[in-house]
Amino acid sequence: MITQLTTSLYNQLVMAAPDCLQPGQEPKTFTDIRSQSFRKFKQLGFPTMKLEDWKYINLQGLVNQSYSLEDSLPGRPVAHERAHIPGLASYHLVMVNGAFRPDLSDSIEDSGITVMPMAEALDELLFAKHFAAYADKTDNPFVALNTALFQNGLFISFDKGSVAAKAIHIIHVVAGSESLFSQTRNLIVMGPNSSADIVETFITEQGAGKSLNNLVSEVVLEESARMQHYILQTASSQSSYLTHTEIHQSKYSLYNNYNCTFPGASFVRNNINVRLAEADVEGHLYGITLTADDQLVDNHTIVDHLKPHCESYEWYKNIVQDASTAVFNGKIFVREDAQKTNAFQQNNNMLIGDKSTVYSKPQLEIFADDVKCSHGCTIGQFNEQSLFYLRARGIGEEQARILLVHAFAFDVTSRFSNEAVKNYVERLVEEGL
Amino acid sequence: MNNTNDEILLQELAEQEYKYGFTTDIEMDIAKKGLSEDMVRFISAKKNEPEWLLEWRLKALRYFHQMELPTWQNFRHPNIDFQDISYYAAPRKKPQVNNLDEVDPELLSTFAKLGIPLDEQKILAGVVAVDAVFDSVSVKTTFREKLKEVGVIFCSFGEAVQEHPDLVKKYLGSVVPQTDNVYAALNAAVFSDGSFVYIPKGVNCPMELSTYFRINAENTGQFERTLIIADDGAYVSYLEGCTAPMRDENQLHAAVVELVALENAEIKYSTVQNWYPGDKNGVGGIFNFVTKRGICKGNNSKISWTQVETGSAITWKYPSVILKGDHSVGEFYSVALTRNYQMADTGTKMIHLGKNTRSRIISKGISAGFSHNSYRGQVKISPGADHARNFTQCDSLLIGDRCGAHTFPYIETRNNSALLEHEATTSKIGEDQIFYLNQRGINSEKAVGLIINGYAKEVLNQLPMEFAVEAQKLLAISLEGSVG
Repeated sequence: MITQLTTSLYNQLVMAAPDCLQPGQEPKTFTDIRSQSFRKFKQLGFPTMKLEDWKYINLQGLVNQSYSLEDSLPGRPVAHERAHIPGLASYHLVMVNGAFRPDLSDSIEDSGITVMPMAEALDELLFAKHFAAYADKTDNPFVALNTALFQNGLFISFDKGSVAAKAIHIIHVVAGSESLFSQTRNLIVMGPNSSADIVETFITEQGAGKSLNNLVSEVVLEESARMQHYILQTASSQSSYLTHTEIHQSKYSLYNNYNCTFPGASFVRNNINVRLAEADVEGHLYGITLTADDQLVDNHTIVDHLKPHCESYEWYKNIVQDASTAVFNGKIFVREDAQKTNAFQQNNNMLIGDKSTVYSKPQLEIFADDVKCSHGCTIGQFNEQSLFYLRARGIGEEQARILLVHAFAFDVTSRFSNEAVKNYVERLVEEGL
Repeated sequence: MNNTNDEILLQELAEQEYKYGFTTDIEMDIAKKGLSEDMVRFISAKKNEPEWLLEWRLKALRYFHQMELPTWQNFRHPNIDFQDISYYAAPRKKPQVNNLDEVDPELLSTFAKLGIPLDEQKILAGVVAVDAVFDSVSVKTTFREKLKEVGVIFCSFGEAVQEHPDLVKKYLGSVVPQTDNVYAALNAAVFSDGSFVYIPKGVNCPMELSTYFRINAENTGQFERTLIIADDGAYVSYLEGCTAPMRDENQLHAAVVELVALENAEIKYSTVQNWYPGDKNGVGGIFNFVTKRGICKGNNSKISWTQVETGSAITWKYPSVILKGDHSVGEFYSVALTRNYQMADTGTKMIHLGKNTRSRIISKGISAGFSHNSYRGQVKISPGADHARNFTQCDSLLIGDRCGAHTFPYIETRNNSALLEHEATTSKIGEDQIFYLNQRGINSEKAVGLIINGYAKEVLNQLPMEFAVEAQKLLAISLEGSVG
């Protein structure tokens, strides 16, 4: 296995690394971080199924091939209308193969909001303060790889008290016929009392080649900041994704993550980690995963309660069709000091396909006693009685099934605070069945 | 709970130190320390074993040498020097007993202190048959004659090897192979004795079978091997109780239990484990690393595990059921209580292979002091297990702000007709509940005992009557000093 690896992506990356890590082009502190991360990546290598965190995923097929590491046509025209959400007032920020494209994007007029490509943000004060301060503390080798070699990404900052009048809609497009390994690195810093809706949509341009996309986002919420974060995975089957989102929350802040995956992308692995690093914080994670064909979608989440009086609520719904596989791994940590914590987690699965598979691991690790924590997990399928009830009232079988799936997903969709996104997601669920 | 029970509780609460901490001075036949092929040959020769069993042991030893110690567990694996353990200890005078009077009186008094007075039980006319395991050699098997009448074989493993080699050969290692894990391999190589039960076709075992394990000699690991076979339509309830005297050095216990239930058979296996947990500072105590697994081989068979775990410095075991026969049922009921610096990493595995198989898991963890209590369980539905059903509930109770409760459930489904539920909660004892009881004149310590017993009731109810009372007392004793 090792010998195969060395002839493929791993080898390519090791060959390409020295150019990237050359001192001089970038600030020294930054190059140091990169070199350190690359050493870490080399030490860890690509994960195998022997590692607990990657137990159900075989990455060998994905990393055992060679990719082009750079976009050969950086300025190509790209259509992104497919990702637009009807009825959503938003600023579009378009990323093509990981690179921010101001020419395709709207400019944001609201005061106090800064958007710039990562490469230009290296001198920003906030960048120095927050970059690689959170995600890199985990032992995810793809984060180390991303830190070491990323070239593209977005830096968004919200000044104290700034509010985005419209939702910020980031559209990630994969384009071009060559097979591509792209890395994107985002940093979003929400200043005190700022507030925003951020929507991220993933799409694949028609006729695009195979691609493996490694995205890492760090999100920082300062005191009393509020953020609604929607992630809509609607790419096509030639695209594969490894994403890592690390959220760091300060006092009184609120963060909601809505992670929705739809039939398409053949391989999706999401790591979403929320660190409730100060007291009186709320952080919630919601997810809908609808899979079809031979898709594999793996959601790994961590809710880490570090301080007292925090609340978290996590609810993931998986609807698994055909020969697809859904993995849910949710960890809740309640650290020693985090008394008076309320943590709730639920994972419900609907197994529809004959060959579909669900792996679920709802995990609690609790080190404080004055807490209320619970988790639940169910696996089932269409309730025959409910189906019969609906059909007896003249509703066709297909319609009845859609209705039941809607009802199943309702617990999560009803939490969406943005009406336009909610309607859009409900439509995608219907189409995906 | 009635008045007399309360008084007994009170009395026992007054005893501060580990209740069963005493040692028995009996001359022991201890082999020199160290693990090697010679040692395995020595044990095998001592036990007068046939050639195939020696080969089987040696094969296991070779596996053991190839294997690495696991790292996935939720505690720091203690440093165990496998060469610093004596693998064989037997009372020198192997008592040839036909009646209890011939048994070494000191041995008898040990059992009396343990609360299983053999004499009394004999008088009580066969409620429970006890195969008392004193360190490694089974000393006395009571009521064997009576069991023989109905065809039940209940004897020590060594005897079974001599008298029923076909049965042993057929089933030994069929549920837990030598290669299963590092401690199962070690056990297979050096197991000294254990219990063997065979219930023939259609027989409902007339009494509860019971074995008491005790670790007595210093620096001797105990490697028990239990094999229970219930033939078609048979039923047996088996109790295993464990207490060990106080020792400062850590001791290793790596047992293997194999259950085989054939068509329409039912096996109920209950454990109360109260080995020395180490002192207040976490020094000493038993390492209880046990592999327990049952297989529902035939259709409509049932295996049920019940365990109450209060002792041992580290408890590490996952009594599992492989549901191979159609319509077979697996159950797991567990109470695990940890205090001071104890660690427990326990749970179960339910492997659904047959159609219409059902499993039920109830796990109650209680952690106090600086202890950590983990539930680790797996429910696996294979593609052929149509209409499988599982219900899992694992609750944790925390007493004190420096202890931990952890849950690691693995739920894997590859069949779309499966129905699974899993729920878990973690909380502390409600202050309002304690207040309510205080108001009614019950002091805090007793109130906690009461609440804990209520909390664990669902599991304790599964135990046979005699054990349920003992387990209830054990929970209360174990918690003394943890409150207030």
